[in-house]
Amino acid sequence: MNNVVIRTEFLCKSFGKLDVLKDISTEFYQGEVVAILGPSGSGKSTFLRCINLLEQPTRGRIYFHEQEITKPKANIAKVRQQLVMVFQHFNLFPHMNVLQNVTYAPIKVKGINKQKAQEHGLELLAKVGLESKVSVYPSKLSGGQKQRVAIARALAMEPEMILFDEPTSALDPEMVKDVLEVMKALALSGMTMAIVTHEMGFAKEVANRIMFLDQGILAEDATPGEFFQNPKCDRAKQFLEKML
Amino acid sequence: MEVPKNGYYNFSLLYVTGIICSNDVTVSGADVNYIIIKFMKKKKVWLLRILVVTVVGISIITGYSNSLKAVSSLGKDTLTMITSPDYPPYEFYDTKGGDRQIVGFDIDIAKTLAEKLGFKLKIMESDFNGLIPALQANRADFVMAGMTPTPERQKNIDFSIIYYEAKDTIVAPKGSNLKQPQDLLGKKVGVQLGTIQEQNAQKIAKKVAGIQLKQLNRVPEVVQEIKSGRIDAAIVEDTVAKGFAQANPDLEFNVIPSEEQSGSAIAFPKGSSFVEPFNKVLQQMKDDGTLNKLVAKWFSQNTANPASSSPAKGGLNLDFTRILPDIPFILRGIPLTLLFTLLSVSLGLIWGTILSLLKIIGIKPLTWVANAYTSVFRGTPLLLQLALVYYATPQLTGYDISALQAGVLTFTLNSGAYMSETIRGGIQAVDKGQSEAAMSMGVPYWLMMWDVIFPQALKNILPALVNETIGLLKDSALVSTIGVVEILRSAQIVGANKYIYFEPLLFAGLIYYVLVMGMTLGASALERRLRESE
Repeated sequence: MNNVVIRTEFLCKSFGKLDVLKDISTEFYQGEVVAILGPSGSGKSTFLRCINLLEQPTRGRIYFHEQEITKPKANIAKVRQQLVMVFQHFNLFPHMNVLQNVTYAPIKVKGINKQKAQEHGLELLAKVGLESKVSVYPSKLSGGQKQRVAIARALAMEPEMILFDEPTSALDPEMVKDVLEVMKALALSGMTMAIVTHEMGFAKEVANRIMFLDQGILAEDATPGEFFQNPKCDRAKQFLEKML
Repeated sequence: MEVPKNGYYNFSLLYVTGIICSNDVTVSGADVNYIIIKFMKKKKVWLLRILVVTVVGISIITGYSNSLKAVSSLGKDTLTMITSPDYPPYEFYDTKGGDRQIVGFDIDIAKTLAEKLGFKLKIMESDFNGLIPALQANRADFVMAGMTPTPERQKNIDFSIIYYEAKDTIVAPKGSNLKQPQDLLGKKVGVQLGTIQEQNAQKIAKKVAGIQLKQLNRVPEVVQEIKSGRIDAAIVEDTVAKGFAQANPDLEFNVIPSEEQSGSAIAFPKGSSFVEPFNKVLQQMKDDGTLNKLVAKWFSQNTANPASSSPAKGGLNLDFTRILPDIPFILRGIPLTLLFTLLSVSLGLIWGTILSLLKIIGIKPLTWVANAYTSVFRGTPLLLQLALVYYATPQLTGYDISALQAGVLTFTLNSGAYMSETIRGGIQAVDKGQSEAAMSMGVPYWLMMWDVIFPQALKNILPALVNETIGLLKDSALVSTIGVVEILRSAQIVGANKYIYFEPLLFAGLIYYVLVMGMTLGASALERRLRESE
């Protein structure tokens, strides 16, 4: 557990006058499943989006395997292949069918042979339980199915780490379980994951580390046991009282 | 016939075009749709296709242009003549059997001249008021179009000796009894723009009070204005007046007594070395009777088919049987119109995409240039752009751009400006999550634009694109003003030959309408198909 994938140093992000992130310094280790919690507006999603530079940090540095990726000359596209994101609203490509969604980037970005990419894609789709939807277009899928395709799409890139940005927030309750199960299996397989979520039960059960953000500050960084049994800061206590 | 100095914009033609095209159209729709479908499905094939279409199109255009191109670039064994073949019996299209051949009194003289001087003859065409600009741009070696030497014209071009003398007449509805210039007191009088008759009419208007002149682009239009009662009379050359009076029994004409000469001569660019040899041969032809024979051949025959029905009062008095033999000729304009539209739409789409990207990527100077470009091309009339591109290009660049090339270039530049806004809107309407999803997997910017954003944007803008194509197809009628014989010009040629007006125009309108309907149906089928894939 001491192989650092991502390290942030004094990461700050402002939108105009609003300081959303304030000096966040932390690291993500290989194989870790980190749940990022916090009230809305606390900067969780912004933090996650800064990690693969979908948001450009205002100040501070980010390292990927000790290579600074916030340098102007850094090859961001290359790094992003290793830090794929799964979005709240799935963002599947509507003009491609399910299999094309999954194989597009491996073929076009990583240059993988089409047939191999398709075989791999079919495996992944089977893993998320969607082998029957291979040639269907996204508009014909339910929300839960879309999110599972999005996870398969992320996995197809064989990234080091997957960033989940509220992956179940846009889903009907009965769909949430399917998606969480897929994520749980993924966690058990050793994938490094950072998950912004409101699913406390899931965070408790699956994560091996909790980050609690409050008003742009990393207020608490603990194991799930410590955090849920014995939160240190008052804001975390109030938050848990409301959520549980 | 005529006289011009400048004014090649032909605004009245625009008006005609408006009438003819109030219905809609097109053809290339199917092809464009096909391309778009391909785009959605397989990008590589699409790219290939655009390439092929473009290359083929350009080579076709180049092929066409060769037949239209000024002689000067073809070598010294050929003389290029430019004329306005809507003026029988001087020069007009022989439309029988769909053939596309310019014939007439002037043409026979030109052929004889070229033969005697040992040159081949090449004939180009344009509107009458575009002839002198063409000479000035060195697009042709000489003009024969029943043109009268006037002091104004002589400032800009040189003339041969006079080879035929014509007289002006007053054409008016039967029974008007207008015989003298004085009879025109207080009347509305029509003339062809840029002609010697226009100048003479202006002289008359100075002497006779209350004459109101109305200038139109073509004699058939002038005659039509008489028939529809908007003007009282017209001043037209005698041979032409005779033809119209025969074809329109409700008209009469009277020769205006005049001591002034208004004969026809050959026009050359200023300082042309051809003036002398031409004069020599012309004199020879006068002396040996060749010229008289040609006069007898062209001016004594009856070229018009008299209207079969008696002049009806009110109504258009249509008789489509009169244009039956000429229908193949008009139909031949269709491929050219389609080719023109297809090329303009594809190239305009490419150019519009480039412009829209300049506006989107956020580099200030580029955005500024693209916005300025768009505002200029959307803020000035297409017809004006067309005239500038066609007439100014040879003088500015030395490249003798053909009428068809000038048309495609202008329409590409113009529709690119419109499409760039549409495309920009279409791109910006694509959900931001799409680009984030692509970026988060490390897809490079341009690849993302091409594979993820464009296909979705294209779907957004498809209806607008179809509209633009329909608009372009109808606007293609504008290139008739610079002499491209597409559907509208074919119809006008037939009208000029037959001294009739409505029948060929209505027929052309029908063709446009059928083309647009075909395209509209194709487009909605495509849209349905695209929606199904969602």
